[in-house]
Amino acid sequence: MNTQRKVPVSILTGFLGSGKTTLLNRILSEEHGKRIAVIENEYGEVGIDHELVINADEEIFEMSNGCICCTVRGDLIRVLGNLMKRRDKFDYVLVETTGLADPGPVAQTFFMDDEIRAEFALDGIVTLVDAAHIEQQLGRSDESTEQIAFADVLVLNKTDLVDGEALDRIEARIQDMNRMAQVVRSERANVSLDTVLNLGAFDLDQMLERRPAFLEPEYPFEWTGVYSLDIGRYELSLADGPDPTMSLVVVPDQGTDDAALREGAEWSVRRYAEPTELIRPGEEIPVGKHVNLRLDSPGRKSFFLEVDAQVRVGLYAQHTAEEFDLQLTNAEGATIGLEVERTWVVQHEHDDDVGSIAIERDGDVDPERLNAWLGKLLRERGVDIFRMKGFISLAGDSRRFVFQGVHMLFDGQPDRQWGDAPRRNQLVFIGRNLDEESMRQEFDACLM
Amino acid sequence: MSDVSTDSPKGALRRGWSASVGDYAIAGGWTLHGEALVVGDAAGGVYAFDGKSGASAWVRQEAHDGGVLAMAIHPSGTAFATAGQDGRVLVWGVAEAQVKRVIDVGSDWVEHVAWSPDGQWLAASCSRQVRVYGADGGEVWRSDDHPSTVSAIAWSSAGELATACYGRVTFFDASTGKRRQKLEWRGSLVSMVLSPDGEIVACGSQDNSVHFWRRSTEQDSMMSGYPAKPSALAFDDTGALLATGGGEAVTVWNFWGSGPEGTRPVSLYLHVQTVTTLAFAHRGMRLASGARDGRVVVWSLRRDGQGNPIGIALVADVVSALYWRPDGRALAALDAQGGATVWRVGNR
Repeated sequence: MNTQRKVPVSILTGFLGSGKTTLLNRILSEEHGKRIAVIENEYGEVGIDHELVINADEEIFEMSNGCICCTVRGDLIRVLGNLMKRRDKFDYVLVETTGLADPGPVAQTFFMDDEIRAEFALDGIVTLVDAAHIEQQLGRSDESTEQIAFADVLVLNKTDLVDGEALDRIEARIQDMNRMAQVVRSERANVSLDTVLNLGAFDLDQMLERRPAFLEPEYPFEWTGVYSLDIGRYELSLADGPDPTMSLVVVPDQGTDDAALREGAEWSVRRYAEPTELIRPGEEIPVGKHVNLRLDSPGRKSFFLEVDAQVRVGLYAQHTAEEFDLQLTNAEGATIGLEVERTWVVQHEHDDDVGSIAIERDGDVDPERLNAWLGKLLRERGVDIFRMKGFISLAGDSRRFVFQGVHMLFDGQPDRQWGDAPRRNQLVFIGRNLDEESMRQEFDACLM
Repeated sequence: MSDVSTDSPKGALRRGWSASVGDYAIAGGWTLHGEALVVGDAAGGVYAFDGKSGASAWVRQEAHDGGVLAMAIHPSGTAFATAGQDGRVLVWGVAEAQVKRVIDVGSDWVEHVAWSPDGQWLAASCSRQVRVYGADGGEVWRSDDHPSTVSAIAWSSAGELATACYGRVTFFDASTGKRRQKLEWRGSLVSMVLSPDGEIVACGSQDNSVHFWRRSTEQDSMMSGYPAKPSALAFDDTGALLATGGGEAVTVWNFWGSGPEGTRPVSLYLHVQTVTTLAFAHRGMRLASGARDGRVVVWSLRRDGQGNPIGIALVADVVSALYWRPDGRALAALDAQGGATVWRVGNR
């Protein structure tokens, strides 16, 4: 009856051995001043004496109507129902699932049960991925695929057990399956608390703020190299390569850690969307601009980079340095070493049947047509749609309509005023064997 | 929520007394002939109040570590049992005002506890098991694991115990624990009530329906269309009327004649939020309903299930339980803020 703030809940999934228990122990031993209730699965083994660790058998309750979206976790309804009665309530709930769990029922519990929905809000689904084993797991089990498809955060764990190339490949693959998720790398589940708690992952605005380019189909560049430069004039030279031109963005003040590279990538994606400036050999490359280097003359071609303060730059290039034997030298002709580099896999050669579909369109949508389309889509394909979220510009409504869903469960409401912002629509679906082309066409047919 | 003091009880409900416990009032009951009201709360405290004045008789804080989950008054009224998250059942003597017996049931929560109608047996459920104890607190038998956590228990007679869980209602012989009957239906049963003669078993289900069986024929029926899950159920003393929650309405099904199959239920409207608890007075077709909106309504029902509200009152928060005094002349309400409110119930 009281309309106090809902208690946020994170769900922790991941195969046996992916590091769930290590992560839980880290969270519980950290000094965060929060009262966190942990609901552990029956095989859980959190070693910490924590007053709010509750063991629960995963009781998957299906309904007589056979609808998969009505399948819920009965144990959670009981346990959470009792916990929420206490006056000294906890600030947060973490639910750990067993390794082979389908995240659907646990997520659906927070949509389907009125009493749970009144008191708790699903904050996010965190999936731990064992970098050393995920490639075999993805081939063999639907569960690991679904755990990735449902996630808001993918913690790529045990990165010390595989080489950098394999990591990039795995990351590209899981990101391609679930473009909505944020990928974080870790060695021994040593991620910060903020990675797992208070994600606001079901809040689209927060997600767009964090990853403004998440709706982009893929990165338009393949390689990033970071160089530390003093004041001076530098020569960027390239040998003959596979293409007559190469796009490039030079990012100033580039950091070297994974997060900084990602941030640079997101920033570059937006630069890449801007018109390009053609640069001929011998000309200067402007920093922070989308440029296209002309490479169609034979032999090595040189371009120049002018630096007027000590700075670390990131080169976000359409091709890898290897393909054109890219070299950076200073005025004395000395080669500048790479501080760090990474590749972004653009082509996806694997054939996972789970993938992401992003639809981004300007303009208004006819509410009736949208309703009819979504109703039909969820009725016919709800089983194969794991997650969806987005916002819509409904004709005749001054507010944005935001929605999210799990399988056939759809939850939407008007949110903030559009005001002066351009009216547009952004939708993401994570699902199995979804037909991207027809979904786009059907959505386009809903536009005014 | 409007100020409670501005909303005095109306109709048949007359102001009695109110008191409070330390946390969410989970369960309670009247001892002896209404001499005291005992209440267990979510912080694990057990409280006794004088039935007439509401004065605190005694308090035991932290009787159950983690909180009280259930309470049952012994049919004699001289003892009661509490169950909690600490995996224990405590048997309290009313006259002694203290714990007479401690029963360690298991390491999981003990969610349900019930005395047999003759007071000989005490049943308690813990996780997937139900266990039955004798008058001395010794274990008589324990069931095998149910397919899921036991969600409700009830005595169909002095000699037989019923349990509900996901997909199943099971009947056990009280003295041996031998299984007598199993009624199956694929759904999550969240509540259970038996008709006074033990012939009809009705369960509220997670999918917003009430499922019931006639035991002699094992014929089952489903009553669907509820906006919420019917966790509150109550049969009247004659077994003619089944009152159900599952929404803002109190829905009453009539088992007279060939019903309720093929009949329309009576819907009683006065609550503006989901009904949380229902209780029939022992005689006279008086039904009390409580809801999330904090309202308590007393209805006078006819044999066909039609009825009128005869009293209404408001408490400070969600009504968690309602208990008629054995003589039917007073009604106690427990609420989510730890309030215990008692009204005298007049004729109109």
